[in-house]
Amino acid sequence: MSPTLLVLLTIFAPFVAFGISLVFLMRRPVLAQGVALAGGAVSVLAALLLLAGGPAEPVRHLWFASGNFQLQFGFVFDGLSLAFGAVVAVIAFCIQVYSIGYMHHDPGRTRYFAMLGLFGWSMLGFVYSVDLLQAFIFWELVGLASFFLIGFWYEKPEAIAAAKKAFIMTRVGDVGLFIGVLMILNLTGISDIPALLDAETGLLAHVSGGTLALIMMLLFMGIAGKSAQFPLHTWLPDAMEGPTPVSALLHSATMVAAGVFLFARLHPLFLASEVVVVTVLAVALFTAILSSTIALVERDIKRVLAYSSIGQLGFMLAALAAGSLFAGVLHLILHAVFKALLFLCAGSYIHRFETNDMEEIGRLGARRMRWTTAGLLAGGGALAGIPPLAGFFSKEEVLAAISYAGYTAFWLVALLAAFLTAYYTFRMIFLVTLPARMEQGAKDAAGDSPWVMLVPMAVLTAGAVLGGLMMGPLGGLLGLEVPSHSLISMLPALGAVAVGVGLAWWDFGRARAPRRGFVEALGPLHTLFVNKWYVDDFYRATFGRAVHAVSRLLQKTEEKGLDGGFDNAAISTSRLGGLIARLQNGWVQSYIASVILIVALAGFYLGIR
Amino acid sequence: MNLTFFLLLSLLLFSAGLIAVMSRRNLVTVLVGIELMLNAASVNFMAFNFFVAPDPVVGQIIVLLIIGLAAAEVAVFLAILMVLYRARHEVDAEDIRELRG
Repeated sequence: MSPTLLVLLTIFAPFVAFGISLVFLMRRPVLAQGVALAGGAVSVLAALLLLAGGPAEPVRHLWFASGNFQLQFGFVFDGLSLAFGAVVAVIAFCIQVYSIGYMHHDPGRTRYFAMLGLFGWSMLGFVYSVDLLQAFIFWELVGLASFFLIGFWYEKPEAIAAAKKAFIMTRVGDVGLFIGVLMILNLTGISDIPALLDAETGLLAHVSGGTLALIMMLLFMGIAGKSAQFPLHTWLPDAMEGPTPVSALLHSATMVAAGVFLFARLHPLFLASEVVVVTVLAVALFTAILSSTIALVERDIKRVLAYSSIGQLGFMLAALAAGSLFAGVLHLILHAVFKALLFLCAGSYIHRFETNDMEEIGRLGARRMRWTTAGLLAGGGALAGIPPLAGFFSKEEVLAAISYAGYTAFWLVALLAAFLTAYYTFRMIFLVTLPARMEQGAKDAAGDSPWVMLVPMAVLTAGAVLGGLMMGPLGGLLGLEVPSHSLISMLPALGAVAVGVGLAWWDFGRARAPRRGFVEALGPLHTLFVNKWYVDDFYRATFGRAVHAVSRLLQKTEEKGLDGGFDNAAISTSRLGGLIARLQNGWVQSYIASVILIVALAGFYLGIR
Repeated sequence: MNLTFFLLLSLLLFSAGLIAVMSRRNLVTVLVGIELMLNAASVNFMAFNFFVAPDPVVGQIIVLLIIGLAAAEVAVFLAILMVLYRARHEVDAEDIRELRG
């Protein structure tokens, strides 16, 4: 089959499932599930066939032309799209299967599966987009779909608030992105991505220096919003209000990955401006530190994972900004696998114990759920960077990329972030699997989640364990050489991870552990971390208050000025009527008297004239 | 017998009618007062017609018109009075105030 047909199948199968379920199957959730799964399966098969076919020339179809400007929709088939598209399709399918078990009590399942389809369609459409404007459209659709899914339980006020927050925060970034895209269009007239990347005729041939830096910074605003980088990161932890499989999808292959993917897509353009590179590195690594420190003190298992996602996204962006496309994309893909796995494990616990608190999950006997716990160990180990799990290789590449680019200070910060990541990941693992004591009867509660939930977790566990084998093929797909590192250059990173794991063991794991993190001894810093660096409070005190003040002002204007004005006009008309009505006293003779009086006065007036 | 005499007579009639209309509460008396005022106007027209402008006879025509009008007015007025009386068993002008605003 031709790549065009395959890519159409990949992208539109979930969309067709979405349309059919939403229009015809609102009352038949089981059938809707089947349709969604069929769509997902077609999408996975087509994406894998595309990947097997290898890179090909992009295809373009003219959508419309206006004057000199031509808008073309089409698909790119380079290594980046093929590899990531396959990852998106596979993970989305795994999560659909898992959702059958996780959501089987929910009355709104049709809507849920339909929205998963919409999510898959928009993300896949984004990944294969050939045109910047086409990519932007799908980029916004990704945001829309995640809005629907975060707010899926719309009867919960927190879910609504979280959905709105996610939508608005990413919109702030998207304003920047859109201005950037429009500037590119205005300055070059090109919106085709491969053409823009061309060194001789692309963007770099048209603009340079300050303008280029400005455009790239605007684009980075959108990326920071989507990929939850400081200062637009606060929506991601709140997005935990959605169903757990949605978090798994949101945090791994879709939504947050879109930002990093756009950065990778336009990689050479970002690298062309030194200012942008340094800013991105600083922002990304600061975000990594900030989110890791918050994760140190968080008790909610999903929130720990959410903050770890923010940190890992920071790692990816830092690696890309340091110049290594390979390290960034590798970490993007492997992180997608093991983070989806971790969320599915967390969902498995939450589904069983109906609590998000890690200590409580541990106390209720999480360890007895052997398969889930095995997944948690594999995913957590990969996240922390334990060799030979997937995360070890990609994190190694990221750190090496930053180090080779010569940013020693940034490298040290990244090492610190890696240490913190290892620490809080193992804090989570120890809290869940080695509780101080287990509830009575926890033993009887042995048993695990149903197999529809375990099979996707097993697939992802395999990915998290064996992900390192992907390095060679991925390098081939991207057309890049896989860097090789000596053992000595890996030592600092391995040391940081080992120290993190060891400290976590000392604090939480060993038999007589204090079960209090070392940060709790740090006083003011601990308060800072618990309060999430006061970023949310800052937004509430400034932007929130400003918006409220303006809206109050507008409300008063409306009430007093417009509405009140009309009210007053009506009230005074009615009062005037009341006054005049008093003349009509109903007494005939008074009417006659006034007639006579007026006639007499008129006659008198005429007489004296 | 000159114009002034008739004008004074007309003034007298009109005043008597006006007093009847304004001061009496019985609507029948009010009707009588209105008739007096109309007749005062007729006397005025006839006097001017006789002493000031005998030709053409516009004054007489208007007087005939007034008489016809008065007859019609009396018919309507009495009909209303009859209905009122049937409904309320009284014809007191001060008590009939249904049209107060």
